[in-house]
Amino acid sequence: MARCNSNWMTFWIPFNFWSTDRGYNGVVMSDSDLPEDAIRVVEHTADWSLRVRGGDLAELFGRAAVGMARLLAGDLAAVPLDEVRELALVADDAEGLLVEWLGELAYWAERDGLVCPTVELHELTPTALRATTRGGRLPELQKHIKAVTYHDLAIRPYDGGLEVTIVFDV
Amino acid sequence: MNQQDLKRISPYLYEIPREHRHDMRVPARFYADAELLQQALGDKSLDQLVNSATLPGIVAYALAMPDIHQGYGFPIGGVVATETPDGVISPGGVGYDINCGVRLLGTRLTRDEIAPYLDQLATQLQRDCPHGVGRGGEFELSRKEMEEVVREGARWALKRGYATEMDLERTEENGRIAGADPDKISPRAYERARDQLGTLGAGNHFIEVDVVDEVFDETAAAAMGLFPGQIVAQIHCGSRGFGHQVCTDYVARFQKVVHKYNIQLPDRELVCAPLSSPEGQDYLAAMKGAANFAFCNRQLLTHLIRRSFDHALRGKVANPGIYQIYDIAHNMAKIEEHEVNGKRMTVCVHRKGATRAFGPGSPVLPDVYRAIGQPVLVPGSMGTASWVLVGTEGSMAQSFGSTCHGAGRTMSRSRAKKEVQGGELRRELEERGIRVRAGSLAGLAEEAPMAYKDVDRVIEVVHGAGIARKVARLVPVAVVKG
Repeated sequence: MARCNSNWMTFWIPFNFWSTDRGYNGVVMSDSDLPEDAIRVVEHTADWSLRVRGGDLAELFGRAAVGMARLLAGDLAAVPLDEVRELALVADDAEGLLVEWLGELAYWAERDGLVCPTVELHELTPTALRATTRGGRLPELQKHIKAVTYHDLAIRPYDGGLEVTIVFDV
Repeated sequence: MNQQDLKRISPYLYEIPREHRHDMRVPARFYADAELLQQALGDKSLDQLVNSATLPGIVAYALAMPDIHQGYGFPIGGVVATETPDGVISPGGVGYDINCGVRLLGTRLTRDEIAPYLDQLATQLQRDCPHGVGRGGEFELSRKEMEEVVREGARWALKRGYATEMDLERTEENGRIAGADPDKISPRAYERARDQLGTLGAGNHFIEVDVVDEVFDETAAAAMGLFPGQIVAQIHCGSRGFGHQVCTDYVARFQKVVHKYNIQLPDRELVCAPLSSPEGQDYLAAMKGAANFAFCNRQLLTHLIRRSFDHALRGKVANPGIYQIYDIAHNMAKIEEHEVNGKRMTVCVHRKGATRAFGPGSPVLPDVYRAIGQPVLVPGSMGTASWVLVGTEGSMAQSFGSTCHGAGRTMSRSRAKKEVQGGELRRELEERGIRVRAGSLAGLAEEAPMAYKDVDRVIEVVHGAGIARKVARLVPVAVVKG
C-alpha cells in the first residue's frame, strides 16, 4: 500500500494504482479506446468540470488529458497528429502533479494552438511524470481554458480504480 | 445548504451563523430576495461562501452579492476582508482573470443617428477588436515594454497616444496601481501574453454598444454625461493570459508554503499566505502588475473602439466624441481602510466577481464623481439590460464598499449548450434589433440570457439593500462576443 498524503486529506490506496508497472512500459491513451464513463462532463454553474475515471494513476492522467483535449478541440478526429513533444514534471503530490500536467497542455493550447489527443506516459509516480504527447495545431480552439484549478481536487479510489473531478476556469 | 440554515437579517440580507460549521471564523452574509435565494441554494455557491469564512484573519463577515454563483474556491460574487498585516491574501480569492472588469464609454450620438449604420459599426468593431480563443493583437510587446506596462498600467498607453488624461482620471486607481513589481512575475506569464495586449479574449468577455434606456438619478447621470437615447459602449475583459499565469504560479507556490504558516483550509483553491509573509508580498506585487496589464488592455481596446466608430461612421454622423465614463475592476484584492465594529482598520478586501462601490466623498474618486459616489458598471447577460449605479454610504457601512458585478449565472455552460442553439439565439437577438457578432456559435449558446439570473432583480436587491443606487439602465443594440 502507498500512502496518498495530499495536504488536505489522507487516505489509503493500493500501491498498484500509483504504478505504471502493470505488464507494460507506460500508458498510451487516445480518444478511440475509452469506455463511455471514463470522462464525463459535470454540471458547473460558471466554469467547466470533468469527472475522470481510470484503472490506475497513469490511466487517470491519460484520460484527463484526452478529456481536456476534447474540450479544447471539440472533435478530436479533426486534430492532426504531426507534432510530438516530450514533457517531464514534478510536484509535491498527485493532485498537484495533475494540475501541472493539464496546466502544461492548456498552456500549449493557448500559446501555440496545440491540442494533444494522444499521450504516452512513460513514467508516473504521485510526484513525477515523464510523457510524450502527439497532436497538432488548430486554427481555432472551441474553448479557452484559462487555468486548471485545485477546487475540491482529490484523487479518490472508486470501484477498483481511481476517480477525480477537475474544475477548469474557462 | 438548506434554507433552515439561514437567518433573514433584513428584507434583502441573509446570514449563515458562525455556528453553522465549526471552522467558520465569522458569519457569512449574502444579499438576495426570495427568488435569488432559491437560485443560490441551487448550486454549491453558499457552501463556497462558508468555506471563505474560514480564512485566517477574516473580519466581520464573509459576504456575497446577489449575483452569487458557484465558482472555484470563493463563490463568484464573494467579498472577504482580512486584517493587515497578518491576515491572509488568497490568489484564488481574486481569481485567474486578475482585474477582469468593465469600462463604459459615452458618446455624443443618439440611437436614431446611428440606427442606419449599426450593421457596419458591429462588423467594424468585430474586425478591429481582436477576440476569441488564442487571438493575438496588433500590440506585440518586447519583455522590456511589458515590464513597463506592469509598472505603468494604462499610463503606458497614454505615453503612446492611445489614451487621454481624462481616460485615466476616470479609471479605478487612475489605471495604475502603485507597487507592482515586474520581477515577481514569471517568464512564462510574459511569454504567454506577449501579443495579448489589446485583445478581448473569449468566454463571457464582450464589447457591447448600448443605448441609455432610462435615467433614474438625474444628478448622477448628468455628472457622467448620460441622457436617454444616448449611445454608449461597454468593454468587459481582463488581464488575459498574463493574469491567468500569475494566479496559476502563485496558487502553485502557496500550496508549498501553506503548512509553514499552519493554515488549514477546506478547499485547496482557497490556498493563501499571510499578507506580511514574503509569499504574500510577492503575490500582491505580481497581482498589481497583472491588474495594471488589464487596465492597459481595456485602454487599448478603447483606442480600437474609437477607431472603429471613426471608420464605420465618418462622414455619416457628427463626431462620436467618445469619452470615458468609468472603468472598474471586479476581480481584485485591494488594501483599503474601512470601519469594522466601530473601529477604522486597514484591511485587504478580496472582491471576486464583486465591484468596488465607494460612497460619496471618497478621496480616491475623481473630482467629477466625488459628490455622487463611485460609478458602478453592471453588465447584464447578452441581450438583456446593463446598469450604471453609484456607490453609497450604505455600501461603505455594510459591504466594505462593494456591490454586485453582473447578472450571475444560474445554468451550467454544458446545459446551456444542450438547450440553446447558437444560430437560433443569434436570429432571435437580431429580430429584437441587437446585432450579434460572435466568433463561435457554441460559445454564444453558453452565454445565452436564459443561463443567467434576471439582472434587473439583482439590481433591485442592491438598490433596496442600500449597497448601490440606480443611475441608468442600458439596453444593447450591438454585441461583439469573445
